[in-house]
Amino acid sequence: MFLKRILVFLIVTIFATSHASIGGYICPYSRKKFLEIATRALNTNTEDISVIYFGANSFKLLNEALPKDLKTASCEKLNKLFKPTADLSTLFYGLSTNKLLGCDSKLSVEGVVKIAQEALQSDVSSVLDLHYASEILTLLGQPLSNQQKIVQLIQAQLKTDDSVLNLGYALHIAALLGNSGKFIINRIEDIVVQADEVDGKLLQWEGGLSTTSQILTGLLKFPTSNQLTQVQADKLGNYLLSRTTVQTPKGVSVLLEAVTALAASKISPVSISIAGPTSVTVNKPELRIQVTNILGQPLKPTPSPVVAQSATRIADDVVVLAKQPLSPGTKESEFILPLKLEPGFYKILINAGTHAATLNARVLGPIEIKNFEIGLSDADGSSVPKLEKITFPNKCSKILKGDSGQNLLVKFTLSQQVHQAFLRLSAGKKEIIFVAGYESNNQYKIEADLGQELPLSDTFTIELIIGDSIITNPIRWNVGNIEVKLSGAATQSVGPKIIRSAKPEIVHMFRQPDKRPAEVVSLFFTALTLTPFLVLLVSWKKIGVNFSNFTPLAIPFHLGFGAILGLFALFWLKLNMFATCAYLIPIGGFTFFAGQRLLSHVAKNKKPEKADK
Amino acid sequence: MIKFLFLLVITLFSSVRSQGNTLVLLDNQVIKETHSLFFKSLQDRGYSLTYKIADDASLILSKYGEYLYENLIIFAPSVVEFGGNLNVDTITQFIDNGGNVLIAGSESTGDVLRELASEVGFEVDEEGAFVIDHLNFDVSDEGQHTKLLVSSENLIDAPVIVGTKKDVAPLLYQGTGILADSENPLVLPLLTADSTAYSYQPDQPIKEYPHAVGKDTVLIAGLQARNNARVVFSGSLSFFSDEFFTSSIENAQNGVKSPKSGNEDVATAISQWVFKEHGRLRVKSVNHHKASEKQPPHDYTIMDDVVYTIGIEIYDNGKWKPFTANDVQLEFVRIDPFVRMTLQSNPKGVYEAQFKIPDVYGVYQFKVDYDRVGFTRLYSITQVSVRPLEHTQYERFIDCAYPYYAGAFSMMLGVFVFSIVFLHMKDDEKKTKGE
Repeated sequence: MFLKRILVFLIVTIFATSHASIGGYICPYSRKKFLEIATRALNTNTEDISVIYFGANSFKLLNEALPKDLKTASCEKLNKLFKPTADLSTLFYGLSTNKLLGCDSKLSVEGVVKIAQEALQSDVSSVLDLHYASEILTLLGQPLSNQQKIVQLIQAQLKTDDSVLNLGYALHIAALLGNSGKFIINRIEDIVVQADEVDGKLLQWEGGLSTTSQILTGLLKFPTSNQLTQVQADKLGNYLLSRTTVQTPKGVSVLLEAVTALAASKISPVSISIAGPTSVTVNKPELRIQVTNILGQPLKPTPSPVVAQSATRIADDVVVLAKQPLSPGTKESEFILPLKLEPGFYKILINAGTHAATLNARVLGPIEIKNFEIGLSDADGSSVPKLEKITFPNKCSKILKGDSGQNLLVKFTLSQQVHQAFLRLSAGKKEIIFVAGYESNNQYKIEADLGQELPLSDTFTIELIIGDSIITNPIRWNVGNIEVKLSGAATQSVGPKIIRSAKPEIVHMFRQPDKRPAEVVSLFFTALTLTPFLVLLVSWKKIGVNFSNFTPLAIPFHLGFGAILGLFALFWLKLNMFATCAYLIPIGGFTFFAGQRLLSHVAKNKKPEKADK
Repeated sequence: MIKFLFLLVITLFSSVRSQGNTLVLLDNQVIKETHSLFFKSLQDRGYSLTYKIADDASLILSKYGEYLYENLIIFAPSVVEFGGNLNVDTITQFIDNGGNVLIAGSESTGDVLRELASEVGFEVDEEGAFVIDHLNFDVSDEGQHTKLLVSSENLIDAPVIVGTKKDVAPLLYQGTGILADSENPLVLPLLTADSTAYSYQPDQPIKEYPHAVGKDTVLIAGLQARNNARVVFSGSLSFFSDEFFTSSIENAQNGVKSPKSGNEDVATAISQWVFKEHGRLRVKSVNHHKASEKQPPHDYTIMDDVVYTIGIEIYDNGKWKPFTANDVQLEFVRIDPFVRMTLQSNPKGVYEAQFKIPDVYGVYQFKVDYDRVGFTRLYSITQVSVRPLEHTQYERFIDCAYPYYAGAFSMMLGVFVFSIVFLHMKDDEKKTKGE
């Protein structure tokens, strides 16, 4: 405990006396991406000169030569787009691009000087206009005349709007004005104070990357009076590094501008970082440490000595290494620290000259599985379990067969304690994972109640998963299969679930009509029904019927009677009851009278016959 | 002039493409820059984003009962309490009223986000817990094996949510695990971890069973509520970051490499889903009639042949377009479905079914209930009455009744003929007698 306190005290004093450092630099990967973005910016068919400017500027700041065809193409584009009557920003971008590209053909700059000079003396020019105008004149090699007036204008503009961005532009103009620009020095403290801190690690000015870059480059033009401390510079450096994911040509350009200016300044942040992987293996224990500026360039002069002040194992806070000097590596900025330590996490405090950094590194080692045993035991512990020994990476010789009254028992020993020691049982898409319990001496044991833990009977694949962040060979070992037969609760009741797919189709079953006799049968019976009438006709024919009593008086009656029968047939076929009745009344009346007349005639005729007797 | 026209066209185009107002809540302004690619893709698609710090005291979602925003993005994992009148209740209410929410947590997810997550059916693992996978992590991992490489195989099987997952490179993920209630049918595990993963504090030895193990560990969870509001909760804020979008990946264990992670594709697809650019269906028209007619009848008779058509449209790129699928089903329901059949589709997005109405009368419904993963629920009901046959509609002349017909008619004919014979017959017998 006492030792620990001393250590904390030591670390605190080290931090207090030496400067901190930043955690990275513009890595080659980012450089490559910036170059891609810059190339794309130059290749786009744009009407905006500023895009060409940002592309060309990024190339220059990355110290990369512009490919020749790209250069000529950009120059042509610039010549076409540049007009001496354009607004100040376009003029500025056009002229600087021309200078950056080093085009052979000259731009026509007639009248540009006059426009810029007028802008510098005009009351309505904003700080931004003044900035562009003064830059234009400087680019054209013209002196800035009437500097007092310019200073007055800036101060007047700043009175109406003294945002940090305006102050940033003012810084740039003041830098061009030389001695007359000293007025701005009073504002520098104000500007620095306005920087916002994020999480205590980053420092930026409100407005994002371009504002921060504008102000930072402006401030660094006043090296003697910029008041930025090393800590602030480091935080600004961290902020700039956090923004290396920018995608726009403008973002890349301003980021590089800020980073380059910061690296060239006296307060250039020092980056102490681990080059390459942050882990070393037991076989290859050399940890490569890189000490550079923010651009990834070696420091001039090379800081010395580079010493590993201490290395602490994070797990138990034991100091395992102290004051070990680092040997120089293959590159100028690289130093090598051999970590011949046990596998684990280490916190390493590196001192490079007056700068210090705490780095986290890991030492990795291989892991071994020993004494792996698997078997089934009775849940009630009635019999001694039979365990089979398997050596990694073999598979279990036979399929284990278990039921709900048994436990799956797995025991193994590892060469060191690990974070993840899981046993996975899987069948199809189902998986059940058991966590191995740590017994002692790196021994692990799993006892799984098959009846309770498994959802249903199936054949499961057994896998052992061993993993940890400090082992080189995480293991996923297919041990074998187990066939589990569960009784009772094996069939789980599944509640109503929303089915999110097509449901089975339903076809309605129509009621089948009753079975009917064959047509022949009904025709036969029809014929049978008709026979009595036919028999009647035939027998009359045989007997011989005479109609000598016929009288024409009977015709209306028979017609009427026939019509009534016909009406009934029609009623059966299509008429309804009301229509039938309507027809029946006249026909019935007619038949009634006709019948009455006929019958009275018949009666009359019969009397004389009787009289004849 | 041409420039002006061009501008006009652009404004017209952008007004067509404009999506909803979106409120973006951030932990700090830096997130806006570190996640600029994601926000830019939203802006390019026409969203107007309003950035606010999550504990800004002036936060409001609605004014005079009207919501100011349609969508809400909460990229503020560590927020302890929202500012203004925003809290878990108002956000839940926002979802209840159909608002869409995209939330990203991290290993240090604040209590207010946990509470919000549990309101929508997810549970976020404990503070400090990362999803760890010692077998699938990126080479750029810083030692704890928490910067996972998740195979796109682990995405949910729904192209409408996550896009076509076949060609997508592995995804980078760093953050906490989520537990989703597997019994809750509205919750969708959009991305799950591999079998070898688990969610735990990396620097604590495993003493208790981890909250999420193996494939049960949900990395990105989605919810489509019954009112079709959508919520996505990602356990990782970095999943949407520029760094994860652009960085190259290499699996540290098996060496699988890709020049670019699949994050951008999947994050874009998920954002398109959660803000209802994808998978939005609506019914355009419903029509039903007898097979021989054009207009819907007053009622149907049992055993009629009926034709049912439904037009379905899907929202695509700002326009409603015909939707084509081959699994839209129609149910003909009287308490229980009597008929369920798959509708035949045509390219115009009109689905048709032709069937015979059952021989049971009553009040029926034509019901189309299209509920598929990722799509809004389509539910259309049309009620019709089905009556029994009229007495004239039964079969008229039945074979087996011919003897009855013949009997009746032969009787009638017999009476007619007999009446003639009876009335006009002259008795011969008497004559002979007389003779």
